[in-house]
Amino acid sequence: MNSLRVARAALRVRPTSIRAPIQRRGYAEAVSDKIKLSLSLPHQSIYKSQDVVQVNLASENGEMGILAQHVPSIEQLKPGLIEVIEETGSKQFFLSGGFAVIQPNSVLSINAIEAYPLEDFSADAIRAQIAETQKVANGGGSEQDIAEARIELEVLETLQHHVK
Amino acid sequence: MTFAWKQAGLTYNRYLAIAARAVRRSLKDDKRLIAERRGESDLKFAKWSNGKQGEIKNLADANAAASVAKANAPAT
Repeated sequence: MNSLRVARAALRVRPTSIRAPIQRRGYAEAVSDKIKLSLSLPHQSIYKSQDVVQVNLASENGEMGILAQHVPSIEQLKPGLIEVIEETGSKQFFLSGGFAVIQPNSVLSINAIEAYPLEDFSADAIRAQIAETQKVANGGGSEQDIAEARIELEVLETLQHHVK
Repeated sequence: MTFAWKQAGLTYNRYLAIAARAVRRSLKDDKRLIAERRGESDLKFAKWSNGKQGEIKNLADANAAASVAKANAPAT
């Protein structure tokens, strides 16, 4: 009878004694100052949970820089530039718009339809398209066509601003 | 905050697709050809009623027609 009571007491004690060492934080598992970035497109993932130092992005709420331990939030991205600062240097991509989800524990997921490094863009193609869409936007097409042309124009002008 | 595309009666999906199309068209020729081929979608659908298949339509065309109709409808 007595041994049974001891066993029950041991059962009660065990869970906390197991959990305790995990809760304690040693030097080795100190907070990382890196963000785990995933940049995913429907057809490709450019970053796959890779450690980076900082990410600058253009959200609908304005330009923002994201470091480790950022407050969790969801940002709608404008068609615009994102800059990924790695330890070895920085990379710039032009995103066609999407969402950035800043998760707790320095996890950042960015979803977009298209993302390309700036050097992949052709200044001539952008200029030609701007001329074309301006014609449509100021022309007498349907409301739908004009609205679409305005969206394209906004994207292209941002793009032209970055591609020299 | 009201977005211009929303006022024009476009959906967010449509807005993103237009922005992505503009980005794809701005690429250098070699990358652009690959990207534009990938951007094409080819899906057909048909509505079945009373056990009979209706007309087979292209999804992209039907979507475009629907969004034109929505844009021309009076805003609510």
